[in-house]
Amino acid sequence: MIRTTILVLLSCSCALAILCAAEPCSTTFSRQKPATASQFTVLSEAAEKAREENRGDDAIGLYQQALKLRPEWKQGLWFLGILLYDKEQYREVRDLMRRFVSLEPRAGGGWALLGMSEFQTREYSRSLDHLQRARTLGLGDQKEMAEALFYYVSVLLTRFEQYDEAMALLIGLRKSGSSADLLTEPIGLAALRYPLLPAEIPPDRKEMFRMAGQAALADESKKHDEAEKLLLAMTTAYPNEPGAHFFYGVFLLNARPADGIKELELELEIAPFNLTAKLRLADEYLQEQQFDEAIRLADEVVKLEPANASGFLVLGETLVAKGALDRGIVALETSRKLRPATVRTHWDLLRAYTSAGRVEDARREKDDIEKLRRPDVP
Amino acid sequence: MLASALLLLSFSFANPAASDAPLETFENIAKAADQAREADRLSDAAALYSKAVRLRPSWTEGWWWLGSILYEQDRFSEAEAPFRRFIALSPKPAPAYAFLALCEYETQDYSSALHHFELWAKGGSPGTDALLDVAGYHWALLLTRVERFNEALLLLAAKAQKLGVTPALAEAMGLASLRMAYLPEDYPQERREAVWLAGMAAFYCLKSDFPRSDDSAERLLQHYGQEPNVHYFRGTLLRFQQRLDPAAEEFQKELQISPAHAPALTEWAVSRVEADRPAEALAPARRAVELDAQSPRAHYILGRALLETGSYQESAHELEIAKALAPESSRIRFVLSNAYKRLGRQEDFKRERAAFLALREKDNVLAPLDDKLKSSRETGRH
Repeated sequence: MIRTTILVLLSCSCALAILCAAEPCSTTFSRQKPATASQFTVLSEAAEKAREENRGDDAIGLYQQALKLRPEWKQGLWFLGILLYDKEQYREVRDLMRRFVSLEPRAGGGWALLGMSEFQTREYSRSLDHLQRARTLGLGDQKEMAEALFYYVSVLLTRFEQYDEAMALLIGLRKSGSSADLLTEPIGLAALRYPLLPAEIPPDRKEMFRMAGQAALADESKKHDEAEKLLLAMTTAYPNEPGAHFFYGVFLLNARPADGIKELELELEIAPFNLTAKLRLADEYLQEQQFDEAIRLADEVVKLEPANASGFLVLGETLVAKGALDRGIVALETSRKLRPATVRTHWDLLRAYTSAGRVEDARREKDDIEKLRRPDVP
Repeated sequence: MLASALLLLSFSFANPAASDAPLETFENIAKAADQAREADRLSDAAALYSKAVRLRPSWTEGWWWLGSILYEQDRFSEAEAPFRRFIALSPKPAPAYAFLALCEYETQDYSSALHHFELWAKGGSPGTDALLDVAGYHWALLLTRVERFNEALLLLAAKAQKLGVTPALAEAMGLASLRMAYLPEDYPQERREAVWLAGMAAFYCLKSDFPRSDDSAERLLQHYGQEPNVHYFRGTLLRFQQRLDPAAEEFQKELQISPAHAPALTEWAVSRVEADRPAEALAPARRAVELDAQSPRAHYILGRALLETGSYQESAHELEIAKALAPESSRIRFVLSNAYKRLGRQEDFKRERAAFLALREKDNVLAPLDDKLKSSRETGRH
């Protein structure tokens, strides 16, 4: 479905706007032999005509011949890419788009088509890089194409274990009108924190991911009772699967914190190295002023993962709250060093420095907060 | 990352040879190409280098930059020819072998890629850290594809020790650990979870974080315990932890699923020898040798079990076969020297002991990963 949408969008005339002024018949070779130039004109015009008349196979052949004469004909590379994508010849599209973006490096659509082809050839790391570049460059006002792009980016982010970023994108897609059915499994995977694509879901647990996805979507639509029913059913059907009690526990923390804590503790019995669950539980204990429990969990996280910025953040916050100001500041400073762009850490440090009478340090944190809030900060 | 590193690589290029080509034109074009490259106008630079090397095909530096720019633009099939020309012309072509191999990997010319990675290694694996990382990773993928799993794991383990676990490394380690002769882009998608779990288990085992390794391994067993190689892999992890009896049980479970699994038989035998029960190693080791007569490790462990049960003559015979199959293995030479000693063959003993001492410090790619790592820990070489 996603693929069809993309093709329709890419093939429509307005998709040409994606090209950065890709002039027809433009070339970097200024001195062509007259006969070759004439032959190229005939072939390129015939290719355009065949494409406009939906004679795809003819158009492909003609574009290929024209590109042999002028390998850097951008419009030819682009339309041949689209026509071959329709034929599921993804390797060929990928190679064409590599040539295209080397000529038009600011063409978001080119990077998008390249990334989507690489997704199909399962070059996932490259695909994510190129799709992200397309996001950065933008696709003009191609809203639906942008949604398709976001879908691919979000499922790849999940596969690369960037679950929170993936979830934010997926929920954004739903809010902008993408089909719930299409998003259910990707959301379920991000929610349960499994680094798999929807096509890689093990058949014996497909239902678990669907239930998690449906619950997340119901919760997003403020249908909390429906979400809870689904989560309860999921944890009942899959009581020993890592992730299930974590997701249910996080859901419950908002409504019934005590029940949420129980679920998170259950998760840690099943998956003792679920560091996200540990941190979420530590955060909850901090809210409830159970400082020793919070410190124990946060400490475990930073021992297991010494580069875990969130671990040091929660550890620092708890130590400060408990009155161990100096140790708390050290932990918060470690968190800041590991992830300097987190505003929450700077706020925590601003308050902690102020309490410690470190006026200059507090002022610096305030400046950093203002810088981070400015949208033009790189 | 690699691309920028590539552009920064410096070489001692040979001076362009004099030719009949119009010198001024060539020089102008070459200068313009360099300027375009330095200004990051890579497409222009590529076109200019292309023109320049057409005018002067002996211009080594031009071939290098042309290949490098095309590589940076992911135009791998086009980058191959310039790198080949560079290799043919340059007195020190070794780094270009790695780039050529990387291009060939991308164009699916896998056997050439493997060959060129090996030439790169023979040349001392020169290059920046970034090149070493990328080339080593892709070389390991190709070794996995041709079922040289232990060598692949050895390369990947070095990367993982240096870089920590990344999704790509975990996937590569998972494939090699489960003895799946595939590349990351072509293995069956339904195996993804198993590959990921195996990769994480291998990584944490490598880091001696055994509780986390066990956690991933148990999840793997829970869902995929009926698939080939999973119990074998579990056995290797347990053996690495010196949990020899549970390891032997896992190898036996593997043999219930895959009765002709020579590596499982071999490792079962190893675990018995290491548990000081060499008599129990004889049957699985003999069977392993029957199934895979070309395995130096199977002959080695049979030879060792025979030595430790008093069959010195037969032991020496098996170890001689092992030595012929893996002449660079210091471990085999050591045990063989002991066999000769028992047989009273003093000259042979001295020769093999000297060979052992000479080889001890060399890398032995035929040893399984766990042996290699143990050996590096024992000698303090991490």
